[in-house]
Amino acid sequence: MNTLTMDNRPAQARLAPAIAIRNLDFWYGENHALRGISLDFPTRQVTGMIGPSGCGKSTLLRILNRMYDLYPGQRAMGEVLFDGRNILSPGIDVNVLRSRIGMVFQKPTPFPMSIYDNIAFGVRLHERLSRTEMDQRVENVLRRVALWGEVKDRLNASAAALSGGQQQRLCIARTIATRPEIILLDEPTSALDPISTARIEELLDELKQEFSIAIVTHNLQQAARCADRVAFFYMGELVEVDTADKMFTAPHEKRTQDYITGRFG
Amino acid sequence: MTKDVMMPQESMHTVQSYEQELEQLRSLINKMGGMVERQVAQAITAVVEHDEVAALDAPEMDPQVDELERQTEALVIRLLALRAPMAGDLREVVAALKMSGDLERIGDCAASIARRAMRNELLSCPISLTGLHSMGRLVQENLRRTIDAMDQRDPELARIVWQSDTAVDELYVSLFRELVTYMMEDPRNIGPCTHLLFIAKNLERIGDHATNISERVYYSVTGNILPIIRPRGGTFD
Repeated sequence: MNTLTMDNRPAQARLAPAIAIRNLDFWYGENHALRGISLDFPTRQVTGMIGPSGCGKSTLLRILNRMYDLYPGQRAMGEVLFDGRNILSPGIDVNVLRSRIGMVFQKPTPFPMSIYDNIAFGVRLHERLSRTEMDQRVENVLRRVALWGEVKDRLNASAAALSGGQQQRLCIARTIATRPEIILLDEPTSALDPISTARIEELLDELKQEFSIAIVTHNLQQAARCADRVAFFYMGELVEVDTADKMFTAPHEKRTQDYITGRFG
Repeated sequence: MTKDVMMPQESMHTVQSYEQELEQLRSLINKMGGMVERQVAQAITAVVEHDEVAALDAPEMDPQVDELERQTEALVIRLLALRAPMAGDLREVVAALKMSGDLERIGDCAASIARRAMRNELLSCPISLTGLHSMGRLVQENLRRTIDAMDQRDPELARIVWQSDTAVDELYVSLFRELVTYMMEDPRNIGPCTHLLFIAKNLERIGDHATNISERVYYSVTGNILPIIRPRGGTFD
C-alpha cells in the first residue's frame, strides 16, 4: 500500500507509452554501457532518470534520438519503439526522428546567430513557412518559454548575449519550435542559478500537457518535483522504476535507497 | 497483513555530520520516551497509592519534556532544510517530528492525572480504584512496549502494540459505565467520580498517543502505512 502516491491520472496512464524500450544493450567499443534495459516513457508525463555518473542514464537519452550514430564504435541492440517502429533500425530517417524527439543539453547551446534565427533555423529544415507564419511561430514558442517579454525588442541581437538561464529557455523554445512529440533534457538546469532553474521547472510542468518528457538530473529534489515517474540506473542497469512519490519516500531496492539517501561509498 | 520487506540501514551516509544529526535526533526522541514513561508511571502511582511525591513529580517534569520537543522540532527543521532527507531518512525525520508531538501530549496527560490525584474528593473517596488500577497498568505496559518498538525500530512490535490498544478502550468503556452507575446511586459520588472519569479519559488518551507512535514507527521503518481504521475496543451503544 502506498497512500502517498497521489497519481490522479488513470486516463493518461492508460495511453500507450510514448517510447517503449525493450531489452536494450549498448556498447562504447568494448565497454558494455547499458545492459538489458526495458523501460516505458508514458505519454505526456515526465520521466526522470537518476543515478551516479557513468550509470548509463545520459547514454540512454542519447540513444533515444540516435545521437550515437555520430560516433564510430558505438552500437545499440534491442528495441526502442516509437510510434510503432524501432528507431534503432537502419531504415529510420534520423533527421525526421530528431525533429520528433528534441533534445536540450546540460550547457545551453545557442547557435551563433540571432535569437530569431536560433528558432527559425530548425523550423526551416522541416517546414516552409511564410514570413508572417515564421514570425508567429517564433513569438509563440518564445511566449511559451516565458522569454518573449525579455527579448521581443531585440530578436535580431545575438543569442550569445543572453544570460545562461535565458539561453537555456531559448534552447527549449528552439526544441519545441519543430513541434516534437518528445523532449529529452540532459541535466538542463545544472549550470543555472536557482531562479532560472525554477523557471525551467515551471516550464516543464506546463510543457507536459503537450509533450512527453524525459529528464536526466543529478538533483534528486528536482526529479522529485518534476517527474511523474523516476528510473534509477546503476552501472548500466535499470535498478528500479516507480512513481516519484514511491521512489523518494519508500523505494523498494536497497541500492536505490542508498543512492538517494546519500549512502553510496 | 502482508509481510513487509525491511530495508536494512546498516550503511552510513557519505556525509558524516548528517549521520551525527540523525543520531542526535534518535537520542532526543529516546530521551523524551524515557521521560514520559516515567511521568506516566508517577501519575498512576500518585492516583492508586495516593503518593504525594509522585503527584508532584509528574507535572514537574513537564517543562523538560516540552524543551526536548522544542529541540526535536528545531533539529528536524534543520535536517529538512539542510539535508533534504530522502526515503528512509525522510520517513525517520518526519516520524520523529510527529512522535515528539505525541510524546509531549502523553506528558501533558500524565501531568493532568497527577494533578488530580491529591484532590480531597479522591483521597476520602469510598469508590474502589481497582478498575482504574488495571487500566493504568495496561496503558503503562503498552506505552513501555511502544517506546521499546521506537528505540529498537521494530515494526513488528509496533504493530502488536498498535493492536493491543483495543483492551485499553474496553477497560475505559466499562470503567465509564461503572462510574456513571456510582453517580446515579448517590449524588455525593459525582465529585470524585468526575475526577476519576477525567483520569480514565487521560489514560485512554495516552493509549491513543502510544498507538499513533506505533503507527509512526511502523511507517518509518517499513515505508508502509497501517490501516487508517484502527482496531477499537468497547462501544457506548
